[in-house]
Amino acid sequence: MVEPSLVLYGALYQRAMDVLQEALQETGARYALFIDRKGFVLAHKEALWAPKPPPLDSLATLVAGNAAATQALAKLLGEARFQEVVHQGERMGLYVDEAGEAALLVLVFDENAPLGKVKLHGKRAAEALARIAEEALANPPKLNLDTQYREEAKALLDELLGN
Amino acid sequence: MSTINFANREINFKIVYYGPGLSGKTTNLKWIYSKIPEGRKGEMVSLATEDERTLFFDFLPLDLGEVKGFKTRFHLYTVPGQVFYNASRKLILRGVDGIVFVADSAPNRLRANAESMRNMRENLAEYGLKVEDLPVVLQVNKRDLPEALPVEMVQAVVDPEGRFPVFEAVATEGKGVFETLKEVSRLVLARVGTT
Repeated sequence: MVEPSLVLYGALYQRAMDVLQEALQETGARYALFIDRKGFVLAHKEALWAPKPPPLDSLATLVAGNAAATQALAKLLGEARFQEVVHQGERMGLYVDEAGEAALLVLVFDENAPLGKVKLHGKRAAEALARIAEEALANPPKLNLDTQYREEAKALLDELLGN
Repeated sequence: MSTINFANREINFKIVYYGPGLSGKTTNLKWIYSKIPEGRKGEMVSLATEDERTLFFDFLPLDLGEVKGFKTRFHLYTVPGQVFYNASRKLILRGVDGIVFVADSAPNRLRANAESMRNMRENLAEYGLKVEDLPVVLQVNKRDLPEALPVEMVQAVVDPEGRFPVFEAVATEGKGVFETLKEVSRLVLARVGTT
């Protein structure tokens, strides 16, 4: 089947932001992202004290690619899935967990955030986000973009790429 | 299939450059990256082998600007062309909104062009998609080769029904690169709100 678009809107978006905020507080992580499996950022939060984040587009794209490869690896080994992925360097770490079929939770943390806490609260946050993603997919809002949008976008294309 | 973030007022589209190995997919993205002004592009990510063959994908985010209050963005990807990287190619096609098929004009790559198109059709089918359902642009690259095949011959093996818009290119010199990107972007935008 054609993959449906995951669109966050209004109260659902706010709920996702609340989940990300709580995950940051509970884990001590720097950045929390809710991304779709295609690699687009749906929502993100940064800890108040955290420095400027890395490019989120690139981060989300690489995480989604990595998650897809991890899922393919699981299947090769006869598993339905490997649910979480943790990368830990000397100073920085990355925690990725499935938020249902269509989305992922990403937590970027440093050496001050205990991995146990990141995993425990990360798992809870991912479960909450999975429910939000499910609701978003069940009730997609109507995108009210019309001919005017398409015309204006085409004009910008001319400006960026030439006539 | 675009990803819409209402809260941030963003619409994101995924465009994938597909084609046989060494046909010039990465060269297209490198040219675009070198010519798009700062502030309108993100960081280019290349997952390549030591000899610069694409291993997993290349990625380049482009900002079109704001349209009716929505920031509109294109995420450009390439797939690895070598035949044994099919698992990667399949993964990259997930959620694709538009495709640029980069064909090679060299006579000894005619068969590789045809096989790559067949492979793309098979991989799309795994996501429930048909080539006919998507905006696809055919770029016939390496037109500067002295022994370059006629465009019609390349087209005959990858798109015998002549369904896709065709652009001739020399990606190393940037010829046809923006024209191809513009056409696929235009076709992708034309579907917004209609599907």
